[in-house]
Amino acid sequence: MIRKARFERNTLRFPQKDFDMVKEGIVSLGIIGVAVVIVAAIFGAPYRPAITNQEIANQKPILVMQTAMGDLDGQGEMAAYGPPYNNGWHGVAQNIQSIGPFSPQTWWGTPYHLYTPNADVITPLTMLATASNDTPLQAAIQTYNAASYTQQQAWDNNFTNALNKATVQNGQVVVPSGQYGPVQLMMNDELALAKSGLLSGALDRETNNGVYRWNIQNDLLFLQGPALHQYAKTIDMRGGQWGINHDEQAYPGPWWLTPYTFLYQVPPGSTSPSGDEIVAYTIAILFGLLVLLPFIPGLNKLPRVLPVHRAIWRDWYKRLETTNACASCPLATSCNKEFHGPMTAAADHEIPACYDQTTSVG
Amino acid sequence: MNWTKSMRTTVTEKLTWDNLLPSEQPIYVSSLVYSFGVFTLSSLVFTIMSGVIMAAYGPTWYQYSAAGAFFRSVHFWSVQAFFFFMTMHLVGQFFMGSWREGRAMTWVLGALSFGVSVITAFTGYLSRGDFFAQWNQVQSKDAFNGAGLDGFLNILNNGQVYGLHIAVLPLILIVLVGWHMVAVRAKGVVPPYQAVHVQKKEGEKR
Repeated sequence: MIRKARFERNTLRFPQKDFDMVKEGIVSLGIIGVAVVIVAAIFGAPYRPAITNQEIANQKPILVMQTAMGDLDGQGEMAAYGPPYNNGWHGVAQNIQSIGPFSPQTWWGTPYHLYTPNADVITPLTMLATASNDTPLQAAIQTYNAASYTQQQAWDNNFTNALNKATVQNGQVVVPSGQYGPVQLMMNDELALAKSGLLSGALDRETNNGVYRWNIQNDLLFLQGPALHQYAKTIDMRGGQWGINHDEQAYPGPWWLTPYTFLYQVPPGSTSPSGDEIVAYTIAILFGLLVLLPFIPGLNKLPRVLPVHRAIWRDWYKRLETTNACASCPLATSCNKEFHGPMTAAADHEIPACYDQTTSVG
Repeated sequence: MNWTKSMRTTVTEKLTWDNLLPSEQPIYVSSLVYSFGVFTLSSLVFTIMSGVIMAAYGPTWYQYSAAGAFFRSVHFWSVQAFFFFMTMHLVGQFFMGSWREGRAMTWVLGALSFGVSVITAFTGYLSRGDFFAQWNQVQSKDAFNGAGLDGFLNILNNGQVYGLHIAVLPLILIVLVGWHMVAVRAKGVVPPYQAVHVQKKEGEKR
């Protein structure tokens, strides 16, 4: 019997009224359904076509070469990123976040194996050379691979510097003549591959171990950096512009991420190199507080002193008043304070028992 | 302890028709605030229904056909309605102090549902296949990496993100929401403030 009492709905102690839960559910489904379908039919949903490496190659061919050179010579962001993709360039990682010694980014090692020279340049070019039976390209790749590291770096540096003076003529990137070894040919072919639209496929093929195309990691990592950033900036999508919080203009975005996005607008989220980690764990702590609210002393009593519940249950409190429930109550003054006064709650020892309506049905 | 017996007792006592589908409510249930929960649930139903149809036909369908675009819109606005009503529900229940009188678990389950919903919606955002999906993938990779979540969630792997969005996370959400609703029904809706204190005082008398 004791166990039964545990599960009894204690709200049965109150006077009850008729209520049709099934009808409420179906009416609610009807309202929401009609509203959603009408709004969807009128406004549609936001959509902005994805950007491809092909588009970037056609619009900003120098940018594609600069990205590819950064991947080849190790100066690019992803080449030196660090976990979970790699261990940086020659063991020096650029993007490891930590709060003191707390660096969860390193816990998993490097499960995704991104070695950018091969992933983004050598492998796609090798595939291109094989597919098109391109002997000069094959020779160039062999020359590059066979050269000493110092020699490779010299060619890379020369060509990277030359790209700063490059011009685009008839869609081709023209650089001053210099000591580029096989790198210039390789970059011209990398650009041609990107322009053809096949570079993304080659990059994704690498990520997916040569089979299905679910994992677009390398394609996106090649695109990211300047290409996507420049575009995102024009539509206010960058982190410091509340980026993720909004969507295509005039449409509501993921506004439920507002607290999270807000933390990126203020220090240390906006300034620290470990901003992401700080923001993530701040949100985790705040969410923990929300979940555990019932158990947090003080916070769990907060709604009692805020006057909002008086508005929510105003009918109930009004009813107590109109039925004169407090007529014989020695603590009627406290009752009034509780339900009508400013933010003053009756002290715990002043409990007006006359408010208990559980015995009378009406 | 006999787990079977214990489970049977709990189920038969908690999950009675009287609890699950009551035909009466305490008279203090008289506010729009009480409707936010059921509106949240209705929006979730439309989110799931439109989502199931989209998943059945696949991403290319909802990106490149008129019918697909329509269901994508229904899905989008259902999600907007879902988060709107869920937020209103959460705020309302906070002001009602709805964790009182043994309802702490109801609150915890509700708050967890909110968290899982945010992650589910985010993986959905990444499954749109448009510029916003691309951009948020490359942006949030740093966030996921910094938080140390990268080892089991490669945000750049569409297969993983899409799988989480259409199967794993909804399943977790449905279990949490279902459990939340059973908890609400088993305990009944939270009584107004003050009634608590009356009850406490009665307890002291006994």
